[in-house]
Amino acid sequence: MKLSVRMLAVAAVLATAACAPQTSGNSSSDKDEKTGTLRVWLFQEVNNQPKEQVVDSVLAEFEKEHEGAEVTVEYIPVETRAQRIKAAFNDPRSAPDLIEYGNTDTAGYVKDGGLADVTEDFGAWDEAKDTDPTARQSVTVGGKVYGVPYFVGVRALYYRTDVFEELGLDVPKTQAELISTAKEIRAAKPELYGLAVGGAYTYGAMPFIWAHGGELATGNGGSYAAAIDSAAARKGIEAYTSLFGDDNCPAAKCAAMTGNDTITAFAAGKAAMAIGGDFSHAAVEAGTVKGDYAVVPLPGLKAGSIAPAFAGGNNLGVLKSTTHRTLAVDLMKRLASKEAQGQLFEAMGFLPTFSDVRQQVAAKEAFVKPFVETLAADTKFVPASPAWAQIDAGAVLPTMFQEVVSGKKDVDSAAADAARKMNDAFGSVG
Amino acid sequence: MSPVRQDVESRVNLLSRFTRRPGRTAAEATALVVAAVVAFPLYWMVLSAFKPAGEIRSGEPRPWTSAPTLDSFRRVFGQQDFGRYFLNSVVVAVAVVIASAFIAFLAATAVTRFRFRLRTTLLIMFLVAQMVPVEALTIPLFFVMRDLGQLNTLWSLILPHIAFSLPFAIWMLRGFVKGVPEALEEAAYMDGASRTRFLWQILFPLVLPGLVATSVFSFISAWNDFLFAKSFIISDISQSTLPMALLVFYKPDDPDWGGVMAASTVMTIPVLVFFVLVQRRLVSGLGGAVKD
Amino acid sequence: MYLAPALVVLGGLLAYPIYQLGLISVFHYTQAQVSGGEPTTFEGFGNYSRLFSDGQFWEVLLATVVFAAACVVSTLAVGCALAVLLTRVRAVPRLALMLAALGAWATPAITGSTVWLFLFDADFGPVNRVLGLGDHSWTYGRFSAFFLVLLEVVWCSFPFVMVTVYAGIRAVPAEVLEAAALDGASQWRIWRSVLAPMLRPILVVVTIQSVIWDFKVFTQIYVMTGGGGIAGQNLVLNVYAYQKAFASSQYSLGAAIGVVMLLILLAVTLVYLRLLRRQGEEL
Repeated sequence: MKLSVRMLAVAAVLATAACAPQTSGNSSSDKDEKTGTLRVWLFQEVNNQPKEQVVDSVLAEFEKEHEGAEVTVEYIPVETRAQRIKAAFNDPRSAPDLIEYGNTDTAGYVKDGGLADVTEDFGAWDEAKDTDPTARQSVTVGGKVYGVPYFVGVRALYYRTDVFEELGLDVPKTQAELISTAKEIRAAKPELYGLAVGGAYTYGAMPFIWAHGGELATGNGGSYAAAIDSAAARKGIEAYTSLFGDDNCPAAKCAAMTGNDTITAFAAGKAAMAIGGDFSHAAVEAGTVKGDYAVVPLPGLKAGSIAPAFAGGNNLGVLKSTTHRTLAVDLMKRLASKEAQGQLFEAMGFLPTFSDVRQQVAAKEAFVKPFVETLAADTKFVPASPAWAQIDAGAVLPTMFQEVVSGKKDVDSAAADAARKMNDAFGSVG
Repeated sequence: MSPVRQDVESRVNLLSRFTRRPGRTAAEATALVVAAVVAFPLYWMVLSAFKPAGEIRSGEPRPWTSAPTLDSFRRVFGQQDFGRYFLNSVVVAVAVVIASAFIAFLAATAVTRFRFRLRTTLLIMFLVAQMVPVEALTIPLFFVMRDLGQLNTLWSLILPHIAFSLPFAIWMLRGFVKGVPEALEEAAYMDGASRTRFLWQILFPLVLPGLVATSVFSFISAWNDFLFAKSFIISDISQSTLPMALLVFYKPDDPDWGGVMAASTVMTIPVLVFFVLVQRRLVSGLGGAVKD
Repeated sequence: MYLAPALVVLGGLLAYPIYQLGLISVFHYTQAQVSGGEPTTFEGFGNYSRLFSDGQFWEVLLATVVFAAACVVSTLAVGCALAVLLTRVRAVPRLALMLAALGAWATPAITGSTVWLFLFDADFGPVNRVLGLGDHSWTYGRFSAFFLVLLEVVWCSFPFVMVTVYAGIRAVPAEVLEAAALDGASQWRIWRSVLAPMLRPILVVVTIQSVIWDFKVFTQIYVMTGGGGIAGQNLVLNVYAYQKAFASSQYSLGAAIGVVMLLILLAVTLVYLRLLRRQGEEL
């Protein structure tokens, strides 16, 4: 039973002289003004100050170059980004011109019709040729480019060198060792979390599932089927959730924690280990544990192996509804330029998306090594389906972990529920 | 007003004399203890707002502070455009109070003083309208505001709040208007007063206590609003109101309690002042509204 | 006409949105439709059948009803008891209690929520210290989280009941109470057989108001349990609808939940109307 919007509008007008549910005129704007205010939304990081400085210096140059153009930047919290950005798609008038977005959201935002196609601009940008292929993939949907990669994010294991030394512990080489070491530390130092984990920390949990050979979903292109309830995936869930409890990270505290929360705890000296990204480096450096920690790749099942990591990262994209397309594209390129990414790396530890820049910085900074190693080993990505944004915003996986952790459901039924919800989402996007 | 007051007071005296039993001391002690318990959260809020960071983050919280400081307030006013948000909240609340009082007064007069077809139906509609869960309407209102182009403006908060406080205001005011003897109206017309004159110079002052009581409700609902502020003011933070600003300090794992409490204090004080000012009228107003 | 402004405002911002709410709930309406990426499709009762076949919906509905009932009962009990207490004490304690209650009443829901959270905070709150609970987390368990929210809700809504009932008791002729007291009736008996029946209209009003308010609790749950608690254990219908609509952008499902709420409250209203009728209230 399908009705076109127009028929529906006619029917509604006839029936009640009122309107059918509205769709916003979010078609691409015809205007392309060269002056005025550009609105930019970037993510608020755990320790945001250095990021702001890098951005400010880019803006200063941009505003010098374009007379009459002004830029206002707002830093939005990552946790509620979905609502903010959707709301922006709903109301083009108040929407920003340029946004930072997680690469897992690309497909969803494109389907929502929110991002502008910048294939030509990207092709004409001379720096783009050095963009690493995985990063390029993360802005591409159906062969078209919808933004530029901003940085690559990959996670590894942060640990406290002073604590390990004091207790005479070795750096864990396998996942089993990781778990037992975490509990050993907690037993010896009950004021610390062994390994800080979070029930809402999806990307910290994924490597456990992948290491066991599990997958979130299988399939490709348009159709996916959830695989989170497969035997292998359930083993991973089991392993991750075994870290919640008084013997490592008390569920009462940790069930609700997000990735940022675990890093905050580690930086404040409340945890002996944490799973953090290259992008967490600045926050940890600014914490009380500065100088007392090191980073290694997150161990896999076998000794010496590296657990597959989530190939995260953020992109910049121009909104379809912008009235300053040329300006916005220019600003986007400046913010994500080789020079700016290099500065951003120095300020925040964000890994550049350009292969050559990444090599340069890796040679300069020792801390990058474990992350580059992890990237080289094996990285995985969430299902490249518009449904993912919905699954993510609906907190399907955090709910699953929290159900297990709090003892409401066992692994099997929680995973089965999650799989059902994921399949619903995959189904609803066709 | 004094004869009425005396009457009430003497009744209360009588009442307490008759309920005075050996238990009175116990009752008074209970009342004081309950008062202390009820007031404690507010005391703690203000106290924590003035505590230095070290005392807030101590595992041994004490009910006093040895070194009161304005640090938290400075952080609140420094970190963001807090003054601006405060003003936005005031604008919204005042606009809602004035508009809904005015509209409700007219409507209440109409439904009590005039007879017309559908009057009962209308009254029932007002009653039913009170029950409508505001929150459920957030979704369609979001689209209405978008179509009106009012998202991110204070109008998107003012308009719905007027609508939602109206039914209750009308329903409450109805009691007051009813309480004014019809004879008074006739007398006024006899004296040659016009309808408008009667309305504003005679009826209006008489139902003022009721208007105050209803204003309290409109004020609270507008001032406290969190859901609309969260849903409709999405991108233009210069239009934010206090509740959203407060949440900036509240981060789930590591809340800046000092900042949260200072911001809460700033947000609560105006309402408290407002309440204390209208306290008398509020109590008599509520009594009046439900008496009939 | 004096009614015109009221009707315009209510029509435009209450009746029309309700109509839209119903409309959205029978369409397939997600972000893609909203921003114009895909056409809107008519679904009939598809959203409702999806909702009703979802176990979580029923769980949330049950939690909402039980939670609201607990809030109403506690609020009324505390409010009425304190109203009676008010009549038995002299001016100073009465003023103290009155002011404290007004303070609680005046506190915005959001600040009340944060303050209560802070009082019960596992690390820095005074309550755990006084009760010797260590770093027990009140928001982790389903019932303790609901209980904490209940405390806050009762704290900020009992003053309305207390003040209203107190005003009502004051209006009761002293002779009646005098007579009852002379007969040697106990306090409880006086309340049961004399005050309660006379205060019935007032009690009906405050009960209904409490039902409506407590059924719609949003801010407290949203703030105090972080958007519905661990794994959504503390969701109530309102928050559930909000999460569905604005977090997962399933606007039509959210709207369907809204319609369900609307119908439930409508039923409560009808009961109220019947009670009014029976009391012979002239509308």
